[in-house]
Amino acid sequence: MIVAEWKPVNELAAALGSHGKILLVGCATCVAECAAGGEREVETLAPLLRMALQVEGHPVEIRAKTLERQCEWEFLEELDEIIPEVDAVLSLACGIGVQAVAERFPQVPVYPGVNTTALAIREQPGLWTARCAACGDCVLGETFGLCPVARCAKSLMNGPCGGTRKDGKCEVDENTDCVWTLIVERAKARGSLDSLAQVRRPKDWSNSRHGGPKRMFREDLRE
Amino acid sequence: MSLDPEIVVLYCQHCVAQDAHVAVAAEQVRGLTVRPTLMPCSSKVEVPHLLRILEQGADGVELVACPEAKCRFLVGSLKAEQRVSRARGLLEEIRMGGQRLGFSRKEKLSAEALLDLAEARAVAVKPLGPNPMKKGEPA
Repeated sequence: MIVAEWKPVNELAAALGSHGKILLVGCATCVAECAAGGEREVETLAPLLRMALQVEGHPVEIRAKTLERQCEWEFLEELDEIIPEVDAVLSLACGIGVQAVAERFPQVPVYPGVNTTALAIREQPGLWTARCAACGDCVLGETFGLCPVARCAKSLMNGPCGGTRKDGKCEVDENTDCVWTLIVERAKARGSLDSLAQVRRPKDWSNSRHGGPKRMFREDLRE
Repeated sequence: MSLDPEIVVLYCQHCVAQDAHVAVAAEQVRGLTVRPTLMPCSSKVEVPHLLRILEQGADGVELVACPEAKCRFLVGSLKAEQRVSRARGLLEEIRMGGQRLGFSRKEKLSAEALLDLAEARAVAVKPLGPNPMKKGEPA
């Protein structure tokens, strides 16, 4: 899922202080799963912002709404009647959802309520860790289902850096597993350690963000 | 405070003695307004509930849960404590004062003992002044 985390409430209050009527919009998909922008978070942030702005001397009216998805045009139609009644929108969706709202409703300022941080998995209750970097040239088939791009601090493609701690953790963060240690262990367990010694083709980064903004095109789905 | 502080007490049904008449006792308290609310379990309280109560103008909230080992839902009181902690942090962030929220673990409380917790919360919030969300309070 796409994961995100709240911006500091005071930062949001400072951005919204000049507006009188604000629409707070959540998204019930990815950011709900990571407890940043779903209905519950909307219900939490709405009273919090009202209080924060009241304390600052800027009482506001905040309306709240949670869409099934903010990144699909069809779901944004639900906002058509509400948008003319507000001065600004605070979106708790990922960066995609924020931009979709801003594109459909260019007449109102749209503020992001969260920082979108990663493509991640819920590893434990309350702990999400990155699993994918959307690099555009997936190597998971060669690395035993463990991504060195997203999970190695240095995105090394050919083995560990040499700084792995004795307990198998990353030298950059004692709480993060060295993914190359995990890859080697999984290769050993599968009896395929030799496969890691094979020379692999250079990774094609041109399909990643480094190749400029992505456009994905499917002729069979065009109208 | 210019007016009597208003304290909402949310308490698990298993924290109080069976013969405790909390509502009757709350009406007899002087010097503060106590609004007791019986809960099936303290874990039914979520962060938005706590914030909404303060947004509506209460000066403080006391959440009373069972001792950890006595919780009939095993982790109910733990969840409640975590939520109070989270809400306190948010209140600190917006400078509303984390001490507006209190958490206690008790069992077999008399009505008077429960209301003592409300009075203690009122004392704790007094330095903060009235809740700025209180109707009629200047911004």
